[in-house]
Amino acid sequence: MEELLEIMHEVKPGVTFEGDSDLIGHGLLDSIAIVTLVGELCDAFDIEISPVDVVPENFKTVEAIYALITRLQED
Amino acid sequence: MGYTSFAYLGLLAASFFFYMILPLKHRWKVLLLFSYAFYFLNSGKYIVFILLSTVSIYLTGLMLNKIDDGFAVAKKGIPKENKKEYKAVIAWQKKFVCVLAVLFNLGILVFLKYFNFLGGSVNGLLKLLHLSPSVPVLNLMLPLGISFYTMSAISYVVDVYRGKYRATDQLGKVALFLVFFPHIVEGPIGRFDLLADQLYEGHKFNYNNMMLGLQLIFWGLFKKFVLADRANMLVTTVFKNYMEYDGIYVVVAMLLYTLLLYAEFSGCMDIVMGSAQMFGITMSKNFERPFISKTVSEFWRRWHMTLGSWFRDYVFYSVSLSKTFMKFSKKIKEKLSPFLGSMIPAAVAMFAVWFSTGIWHGASWKYVAYGLYYYVIMLIGMLIEPATVKVCEKIHLNRKSVGYRLFQLVRTFILVNIGMLMFRADTFSSFMHMLGSMFTGFSFAPVADGSIFEIGCDIKDFAVLIIGALILLAVGLYEEKGHSVRETVARQNIVVRWICYYALIFIVLIFGAYGRGYQAAGFIYAQF
Repeated sequence: MEELLEIMHEVKPGVTFEGDSDLIGHGLLDSIAIVTLVGELCDAFDIEISPVDVVPENFKTVEAIYALITRLQED
Repeated sequence: MGYTSFAYLGLLAASFFFYMILPLKHRWKVLLLFSYAFYFLNSGKYIVFILLSTVSIYLTGLMLNKIDDGFAVAKKGIPKENKKEYKAVIAWQKKFVCVLAVLFNLGILVFLKYFNFLGGSVNGLLKLLHLSPSVPVLNLMLPLGISFYTMSAISYVVDVYRGKYRATDQLGKVALFLVFFPHIVEGPIGRFDLLADQLYEGHKFNYNNMMLGLQLIFWGLFKKFVLADRANMLVTTVFKNYMEYDGIYVVVAMLLYTLLLYAEFSGCMDIVMGSAQMFGITMSKNFERPFISKTVSEFWRRWHMTLGSWFRDYVFYSVSLSKTFMKFSKKIKEKLSPFLGSMIPAAVAMFAVWFSTGIWHGASWKYVAYGLYYYVIMLIGMLIEPATVKVCEKIHLNRKSVGYRLFQLVRTFILVNIGMLMFRADTFSSFMHMLGSMFTGFSFAPVADGSIFEIGCDIKDFAVLIIGALILLAVGLYEEKGHSVRETVARQNIVVRWICYYALIFIVLIFGAYGRGYQAAGFIYAQF
């Protein structure tokens, strides 16, 4: 989780992601930021995120992103 | 048969009646039958194109299912070391089938909508090279709603290919998903996983749904008849004779066109969504108070939302998350800088999105320029964002303050209005002329001497338009706070409720722009 937050802060410095219940709805993650984040996550966690995984449910909260990473690592 | 015609309202009433009297499991057939009747009445023999699209995506879905099922059975008997290789073969097969279906559907659209435009461009190029034009001009007609249903068709095939859901084996379900009569003309662009089951399963009669649907239809009629058709008079006069007008005339025409397009398109969506709600069907939203946006990107997340989300899911993510692009991004990050590593691939993917968005609106270079106009604004915004943050910090400017937000609202409103001017102008050069002419001879004299009230909209029309726009704004702000006007009305006692219903009906009847001297604005997006 810490590594994930570190990456998210690198992608969007100065933003508080922790505790936010709707990162997309609140404009903290737009499609450009998501693409950058996906690239970083694929490198850091050795996973493959496809367009079908890029849905609001998977990027709504830090926990949801973490759950996506865990699921893709298990696959 | 437009959505504001008596014929449409008659068709809606008839379909609603038969839908409600048939057993639940057969109700989808009523929708399908009336949808094809609506399509045939509007498009005649061109119905063949939507039938072709329907059959093509249905069969593609079944083929993709078959490949998946074959793989699921075969992989059990394959040694682990060969599994990866086999998986790659399966992935290639699926991609081949998917690409073929996308090309087939896109090919029909490109041929019918863009052949003459592309041919004209090639001929123009040949002329420049002193060669004789060689591409013939064909007499092509556009089937109703092709730009909308083609996108729905592609989304179905790509979603099944990506494994988002399994394809259905019910041809009627696919057919109804594409042709459903409320959304066939102007959208919203449907997604199979959100819409198909709702269309297919029978819904019981629900008084609330019927009343809420009817209210939405009348709200849409209010926007169309009272605002859009009224504004259309002045807008048409100025844009048609743009060489004769400058200064405040052009500014007013631009502002009224923005109001017209919003009222017309969102009004149409209200009629569409209201019609669907009567049957108990919820469609995707296409508008969410776009004029309270602080940035142009936010505006496009609130304006024609199903188009924006389609391009995001099937163009932007497809390009930017492809393996080639990911590698490209990584290389730039390593060799140049992390900032450029994330910026350049995003910029390329965005270019694809905005070029396509532009050309989707119409087969002309003006529409390409329209798409690229927003692309350039967004790109500049992205590039200067880090510097803007730093500058604001240095001069202690709070970016969350009311003043800064107001500045953002006004800036976005101006940029969007310039976009609207380009969208409405006949050609790119007439847009440039009108944009320039706004600043020449600008004065309030035409308002003071009343001459602005003599070109299509008199002072009473202006009063109705201003009050109407304020009503839209008030409703928008109320809804932005999470309330629903229709549900608030529904909670009132029967007397208040019916006063509201009658008020809306009489406002549409009394203040609608009908009769001699008025010229109804056609549904602009129906031409796409």
